[in-house]
Amino acid sequence: MMAMVGLAVALFLVFISRIPFGFVLKHLARVSIFIFPLCVLILFTYHQGDEIARFYFLTVTSGGIEHACLIAVRALAAVILIFPLIGTMRFDVAIKALGKLKVPNKLVQMLIFTYRYIFVFIEEVQRMFRALTSRGFTGGMNGRTLRATGRLIGMLLVRTLERAERVYNAMVSRGYEGNLGTLVEFKIGGGDILKAAILIAIAIALNVF
Amino acid sequence: MSERAISITNLSHTYPDGTPGLRGISLDIIRGESVGVIGPNGAGKTTLLLHLNGIFMSKNGNVEILGKEIRKENIKGIRRSVGLVFQDPNDQLFMPTVFDDVAFGPLNMGYSEAEVRQCVARALDWVGMTGYEPRSPHHLGVGEKKRIAIATVLAMTPEILVIDEPTANLDPGSKWSLIELLRGLSITKIIATHDLELVRVLCQRTIVLDKGRVITDGTTKHILVDKPLLCAHELAPPNAT
Ligand SMILES: Nc1ncnc2c1ncn2[C@@H]1O[C@H](COP(=O)(O)OP(=O)(O)OP(=O)(O)O)[C@@H](O)[C@H]1O
Ligand SMILES: [Mg+2]
Repeated sequence: MMAMVGLAVALFLVFISRIPFGFVLKHLARVSIFIFPLCVLILFTYHQGDEIARFYFLTVTSGGIEHACLIAVRALAAVILIFPLIGTMRFDVAIKALGKLKVPNKLVQMLIFTYRYIFVFIEEVQRMFRALTSRGFTGGMNGRTLRATGRLIGMLLVRTLERAERVYNAMVSRGYEGNLGTLVEFKIGGGDILKAAILIAIAIALNVF
Repeated sequence: MSERAISITNLSHTYPDGTPGLRGISLDIIRGESVGVIGPNGAGKTTLLLHLNGIFMSKNGNVEILGKEIRKENIKGIRRSVGLVFQDPNDQLFMPTVFDDVAFGPLNMGYSEAEVRQCVARALDWVGMTGYEPRSPHHLGVGEKKRIAIATVLAMTPEILVIDEPTANLDPGSKWSLIELLRGLSITKIIATHDLELVRVLCQRTIVLDKGRVITDGTTKHILVDKPLLCAHELAPPNAT
């Protein structure tokens, strides 16, 4: 029962944080791939209370159904709870917060560059694929397409390395010496602490009940 | 002597794969000058610019900035006085927000928080991009990216501005407003480009570079009317007369 309340609260939080439900559903579908088999297993292995059905050597009990539902609802609620947490923050602010939480500067730099260049990289891949397609490249698993794909990946690697070198030059020419400075405009307000407390409370409740 | 902003003597550069980038370049640039470096693809323009703030340091030849030879020990000061704007703004803008990008140089110079904020505000004002601080560079248009890229360098208040292909990939509107912007900056400028219109309005002096060598060095007025010279170095259509 508590788990259902937890699920409802989590959904409510998603609603008030104005995250598109479609986005949440898409990700839930992926998580369900893991939750669903688990529930089926529990259904047939957890025996308690009245026997409800029997297929050859498999029995389902009322306790089993209850337990499987509990696990499913709990897991879904826990996952949904993540969305208001990470779905509403700006990535650059999150990275700076990591820096403040004493995450090593090297790791923070890696995250920053991944975030900045992932789009550039994707565009580069798309451009190259378009160029291939316009010259009659179709997917498939024959030697010719595999060779073409291999060359494409090789080219990408080279381009990425060259870009990395140019970016590094640009950094060095503005005085980079290994440490990435950012002015941390990240402040924790009373409201943030309250929100964090609510989320943590729900998460704990999900585990206990 | 202190009038010289840049003094290059007999500079050569060979890439690790053996490609010659520069072969015996010598030139002087006076403080306050605005110099165009033109030449076909692969002429060595970018290679030359990378020598101006010590990204490349050749054993062959000598580069002096404001009367000081570039050495490991003074590289920090050199990079503060020579602002280098790269050809592709995606290489220059690597931080998650415009603010962070413009603040990058001043932070590396060890300025205080208040000074950094002041530098950023001033630089963005110079390039007409005030209000773009929280934007993510990736989502800006090419013209906007170019301006921000220039701001990242101006934030360090350099004495010499070195720009690689400022008008590449710009539509005519963005191009001319960028040219106006550059014209308004009264510091020493070295501009590498294929864009003869830009050279005509921005640079009193032009250096023609080809195959790593200085072909001509003179007033823009004279060089831009020398059609045979421009044709010989793929800077004008072959049938131009
Ligand atoms: N990383 C590199 N490795 C090997 N050779 C290179 C490298 N970068 C440039 N070159 C070569 O050095 C020469 C000069 O190149 P550079 O990039 O300086 O020319 P550019 O005048 O800037 O040309 P563009 O107008 O195309 O930008 C060319 O022959 C080029 O192929
Ligand atoms: Mg170039």
